[in-house]
Amino acid sequence: MAVQNIIKEAAERKTVLVQRTLRSGQQMSYDGNVVILGDVNPGAHVAATGDVIVMGILRGTVHAGASGDDEAVVIAFRLRPTQLRIAGHIARPPDQDANNPNQPEIARVKDGVVVIEAFPPGGERQTKM
Amino acid sequence: MSEVVVVTSGKGGVGKTTATANIGAGLAILGHKVVLVDADIGLRNLDVILGLENRIVYDLVDVAHGNCRLRQALIRDKRFEGLHLLPAAQTKDKTAVSPEQMRELCAELKEMFEYVIIDSPAGIEQGFRNAVAGAEKAIVITTPEVAAVRDADRVIGLLEAAELTDPKLVINRLRPRMVQRGDMMNIEDIIDILAIDLLGVIPEDDHIIVSTNRGETVVQDQRSLAGQAFRNIVWRILGEPVPLMNLDGERGLIGRLRRLVGLG
Repeated sequence: MAVQNIIKEAAERKTVLVQRTLRSGQQMSYDGNVVILGDVNPGAHVAATGDVIVMGILRGTVHAGASGDDEAVVIAFRLRPTQLRIAGHIARPPDQDANNPNQPEIARVKDGVVVIEAFPPGGERQTKM
Repeated sequence: MSEVVVVTSGKGGVGKTTATANIGAGLAILGHKVVLVDADIGLRNLDVILGLENRIVYDLVDVAHGNCRLRQALIRDKRFEGLHLLPAAQTKDKTAVSPEQMRELCAELKEMFEYVIIDSPAGIEQGFRNAVAGAEKAIVITTPEVAAVRDADRVIGLLEAAELTDPKLVINRLRPRMVQRGDMMNIEDIIDILAIDLLGVIPEDDHIIVSTNRGETVVQDQRSLAGQAFRNIVWRILGEPVPLMNLDGERGLIGRLRRLVGLG
């Protein structure tokens, strides 16, 4: 999946910029994409009909494609969610053996399950000197 | 013959949520069907202490408002068969439900479970009134501190006003060495003031800090003194006259404790 494609599709929706960290108990929902310039802490809840991009650490719960869009994605600098929802799919991290790479990741629905991959694709290679 | 029990204290931080989790787990281990209800809307913790936070989809407020069916909001514990959680909402506040809604909810849960245990929030305002609304019995938690005992006394009065007479007392975080030196209130001092039946005494125990941070309970831990104390409380709830355990080999104390629970 090319980065350009994601950006292009995202541009078809309105996007809101949230310039703060969402703390426990705080929630937001938006008809469009959400970009958060901060963290999403455990107990915070973000719902968007489009994509959700967290320019920080995502530790709380995020629902992308909340009105049923399976193509919606969640991208975070560090993806450590309590729970991830995309359209009607709900995923949570495994109880043990959580593999937490120190790099941005993307979550999206592939073949009916939520999968998490490095972002951008092949991003590991780009960090090579 | 199910029962609805509220765990409350007035003061915060004395161990309501930890006690709720451990008593519930203890009852479930002995084969009982238990549901724990987190009534601390807006400051929920019980899900974290049980390690079930990432399973929450619907919560108590959703059920009260009819956004989902009760069964959809119930979370089965991952370790203990028979233990269930009805989580609180985190993004709402205490006014999101009414005492009347809590009464209905408790009545419905009572049909499904043998023990409905409600974890009350700190304070005596609406959150407390919601927590006690559907309860038939009460457990009051205190620590051996003047302020905690004062608040427990206030709460016992409020429970009586809510027709929850005969609440049971749990003294948490007792440090026998300090009691021995006379630096901490002893069990008799506390009973003298509160004048209610003692359900159990839980010693201060480092295991609790480790287990709560990991989302686990201690009641199943054979090495933990607090775990033993919680197991004893569970037996007493089930009607077994378990004597209070000897905390840290204190001679003389045990005799007094026995007398307090009517065994001496």
